[in-house]
Amino acid sequence: MQDFAAARSEMAEYWNIRPDLEEEVRRHLAAPPEGDVMLESLIPEKDFNTAGKGSAEVKNLLKRLGVDPEILRRVAVAAYEAEINVAAHSRGGIMSSYIHDDFIHIMFQDKGPGIADIEQAMIPGFSTADEMVRELGFGAGLGLPNIQKNTDALHIRSEAGGSTMLEFIIYFTNNGR
Amino acid sequence: MDDKEIKYFHALQIVEDNCTGCTACVRVCPTEAIRVRDRKAYIEPSRCVDCGNCVEACKFHAIIPRSDPLDVLHNFKYKVAIISTSYFGQFTEDISYGVAKQALYELGFDDVQEEAMVTDFMISMIRDYIRANRDKRPILSSNCPTVVRLIQLKYPSLLPNLFHLEAPMSILTRYLREKIKAEKGLAENEIGIFLIVPCPAHVTAVHQPEGAYKHLQDGAFSIGMIYGKVREHIKNLQNHPPQIETYPKGLTWALSGVQAELVDCEDIRALSVNGVENIMEILSRVEDHYLDQYDYIVLRSCTNGCVGGCFNVENPFVAMSRIKKMIKEGKDTEIDVTDLKELYDTGEFDVAPLAARPIMELDKDIKTAIVKMKQINEILTTLPGLNCSACGSPSCYALAEDIVLGKASIDDCVVLLKRHSREEDAENEENTTQEADK
Repeated sequence: MQDFAAARSEMAEYWNIRPDLEEEVRRHLAAPPEGDVMLESLIPEKDFNTAGKGSAEVKNLLKRLGVDPEILRRVAVAAYEAEINVAAHSRGGIMSSYIHDDFIHIMFQDKGPGIADIEQAMIPGFSTADEMVRELGFGAGLGLPNIQKNTDALHIRSEAGGSTMLEFIIYFTNNGR
Repeated sequence: MDDKEIKYFHALQIVEDNCTGCTACVRVCPTEAIRVRDRKAYIEPSRCVDCGNCVEACKFHAIIPRSDPLDVLHNFKYKVAIISTSYFGQFTEDISYGVAKQALYELGFDDVQEEAMVTDFMISMIRDYIRANRDKRPILSSNCPTVVRLIQLKYPSLLPNLFHLEAPMSILTRYLREKIKAEKGLAENEIGIFLIVPCPAHVTAVHQPEGAYKHLQDGAFSIGMIYGKVREHIKNLQNHPPQIETYPKGLTWALSGVQAELVDCEDIRALSVNGVENIMEILSRVEDHYLDQYDYIVLRSCTNGCVGGCFNVENPFVAMSRIKKMIKEGKDTEIDVTDLKELYDTGEFDVAPLAARPIMELDKDIKTAIVKMKQINEILTTLPGLNCSACGSPSCYALAEDIVLGKASIDDCVVLLKRHSREEDAENEENTTQEADK
């Protein structure tokens, strides 16, 4: 039995970093600099018309920078899935993208209610999506696994009952996977 | 890759005397190719895809789509017309398919052939191609010249997905040229093969084909341009309707939705998309592999397909309904495709791999591109964000970009100019009242 009060203060964290980038990424995320170009977009709760606009914007921006199409696709897919997650499972949130010389860092922050079990949420096919979300064709349980597959570094921090922060990094070159 | 050297042909021309600088065209261009500078519109040739949006938006007849004048027929001994299927949707229902076709002979052609003839053959070629290229799914249709150019410009990573075989009118051209040369004993330059087309993009494709290995057509005539003359001939013909071969089943080519339905079968799933805005949205999703469940996507820039081309006279929905009626009621002519098959097997319809014509990159070097983007964003914060186009650029973002690329100045922003002059006025007023107080 889980103590409710204890669970509320409990912070769950999940990391998945490409081994060769471990040090670099940790150092960057510990004190992330602003980035050369920054983009922000709001994700309203259960608004599937707006969700997806932010990732489309980021994709267009990266196209303008001449980023390789395959990397562009990975960014677009990861950002889109994360945006849909915020719209489907939270009370809304914000997506912030920071573009650096050789990588993009995108961060999603929502207003709760948090992910109960992150490890479980990473399993393909697992979903807590409600009826309405499923009716709209989302909630197949592939969101987080898909994000992980397409990113060089993924970090999730969630407070049960509180907010969730998901951030990832994708490098523009050195597509060494 | 120095594409600055390439001179692009376009069927769209600006008549400066008629242009009022209203910016209506600037706002509807899908590739942001148009700017108004010094109160006149200008189309950047490397960005234009000949979609015709600006032609329909211009209320002053200042953007004129060109096609060839009929006089060019005199340069040839034997003249052949190939008709786009959308042509047959342009007439009232008392005018029969046969009469509409016969009227073209009266314009001075020795031979009149239809795109519709090869529709069936095309469908089987497309299916073959899809099955042989499963690794490239979805295959994207390449018949619409605007779509092909749009992919070269904005979605170059999708170039390998394009259906790499000639379009029906070009297939017919290759076939007829060989046949006529042999049957009539004529030299290549004595035969003139012309298309009757529904849109300026097809005129451009005739004069500057992408990926063509061999000489194709000798010119293109707009349906709208010949319409008046054709109507006169029709009047005379209606009392003596001709006995003429028609291919109603093949008319489906003009309708993007029906074409997709025809390709669709047990092992091929097809999707039909039309309208240039829809197409851009779909291509972006194909790039992200969100539409991999489809084997084939029919993409046509105009509403409902070629019946929506801006050279047509009739509304695209009415034209579509008429063509559907003809398909339902018409009697088909059998077509012998042995010769076509032979040409196909020898690779006569192959298309060269298409080159990208990227317009999106701010700079070839990513670091410089980031610097430029930073500058754009800085300028953007000072602009009013109304996207009014009064500066002559399509949006505030486009103006910021034009400024960074040295193509415009911040003074082009009318709203800022007005704000500044108001501030100056207020300042002057303050000064005068202060002086009066003294």
